[in-house]
Amino acid sequence: MQTIMVIEDDQTIREELATLLKNQGYQAQIMTEFEAIPEQVCSIHPDLVLLDLGLPGRDGLSLCAAIRKIAPIIVVTSRASALDELQALNLGSDDYVTKPYNIPVLLARIKAVLRRNGGELTEPDILETAELRLSLTKGTVTAGGQTAELTRNELKILAHLITHAGEIVSRADLIEALWDSQIYIDDNTLSVNVTRLRSKLEGLGMPEVIKTRRGMGYQL
Amino acid sequence: MKAGEFILDALGRMIPRVALLFAVAAFLLITGTQSGIVTLLLILCLLIFLLEQLTEFCRTKSRLDELQAIMDGLDRRYLFAECAPKPQSLYDRKLFELLRLSGKSMIEAVSDAQAAQKEYREYIEQWVHEIKTPITAAKLICQNTDSGTRRKLSQELAQIDAHVERALFYARAENPEKDFIISEIDLSVICEGAIQAHRTLLIQNGIRLETGNLHDNIYTDGKWVSFMLGQLLQNAARYRGEEPVIELWGKRLGQRVQLTVRDNGIGIPAHELPRIFDRGFTGSNGRNRGGSTGMGLYLCKRLADALEIGLQIQSTEGTGTCVTLNFPAKMNLTKM
Repeated sequence: MQTIMVIEDDQTIREELATLLKNQGYQAQIMTEFEAIPEQVCSIHPDLVLLDLGLPGRDGLSLCAAIRKIAPIIVVTSRASALDELQALNLGSDDYVTKPYNIPVLLARIKAVLRRNGGELTEPDILETAELRLSLTKGTVTAGGQTAELTRNELKILAHLITHAGEIVSRADLIEALWDSQIYIDDNTLSVNVTRLRSKLEGLGMPEVIKTRRGMGYQL
Repeated sequence: MKAGEFILDALGRMIPRVALLFAVAAFLLITGTQSGIVTLLLILCLLIFLLEQLTEFCRTKSRLDELQAIMDGLDRRYLFAECAPKPQSLYDRKLFELLRLSGKSMIEAVSDAQAAQKEYREYIEQWVHEIKTPITAAKLICQNTDSGTRRKLSQELAQIDAHVERALFYARAENPEKDFIISEIDLSVICEGAIQAHRTLLIQNGIRLETGNLHDNIYTDGKWVSFMLGQLLQNAARYRGEEPVIELWGKRLGQRVQLTVRDNGIGIPAHELPRIFDRGFTGSNGRNRGGSTGMGLYLCKRLADALEIGLQIQSTEGTGTCVTLNFPAKMNLTKM
């Protein structure tokens, strides 16, 4: 499990951020004393540091340079000027997110920086359930020895359902998940895509794989 | 100063003097001076008089021209009295002194107002930074609750966020040249950022987005343009029609790149189009729906002007609105 260290002076943000990161499958470490920050980072040796530039009585930018020697950094700040951003990036931070951050965007940046620096978090290319085998790079789904090609939207929908296999996934959640992947669809388009996906799966002899839970969403 | 103006002005002085001259001539004639001599004297006097007025005209004109040149050369015209040369005559000197005092009090008033405005702007910026911390905390808390509450709350939070952003950019637009940094940036990165920043709004309004041909590099300030696009997306969502679609398309036009943001919303009535960039103008759509601030497009226009982005809006009521933004695609070296 990858460790993310949160250096943030606002208690609520720090704790909620930790909860969010834990829910996303990271190990979150929060810092409560802002003394000897680089040493603290060094003792924990996280995979990533989320650093608030506005720590009390501290020059966040010089901290940035010191911590960067130990771990990759995403700078989080409410100062949004282009100059601050340039400075932070010049001092070696890996990315820069301004408050109030968009949570999906923050998570995507975290993922990207971890991937760039560690390489451990390579996403699996093959997603599998008891009956289905989905290849993300080829864009195909295999069942019972037969293979069908999927469009980008269908692939993303099926991938999201497989990673949440057994759970009820609401239409709104599916739309949000697709937006994460820069597919901007509305409710109708989702219906059309799910219908097409179903007919393709039916062609593979899997007619009832995606169940509709009335008023709640879909379930694999 | 034109000759006509001068003559008209000098008429008041000339008429009594000419009249006096003729009166003296008449007196001389009556008292027995030869008419030839009187005529000669009269012509001579008139000539001297004319010559005097002519030099007066030339002098006044050259002085006025000099003052005009000083005025034209001034960046802040209320500093005129500080820069003009002191006049000669007593009356002019006194007048000039009064003018200078009036100018001085104006300078003080202006610099007080500027200082107050600067302080106010700094406070707004500081306030915006401060408010972002609780908004961020609220967003995180919201993210960690159940999905029903999350959706409702995140919509409200997105609105708060949008209002705060507008306040920040309003403060910045007051003195735009200080704040932006022009760099080369991929148009799709800006569009992507603006879309992601408004995803809650767009998803919850059931909007389908179509994007294409956005991979041109432009020279601009990404944050500012992202803010402008955000205003356009917010408008498109607010004034959406049935089955709303927003299209973002790029197009290369020689030295420039054009971005078109088109929606199929309710559109703007033709007679309101000329006023949409006015500060605080909400139009009939805004009034009917409420919650409109009349600031979004005003700010867009101000920022676009500062960044030299051509901003145009076409709209047909009931069909939709089409906004085009025209970006420089080459570094404008003369400006840097």
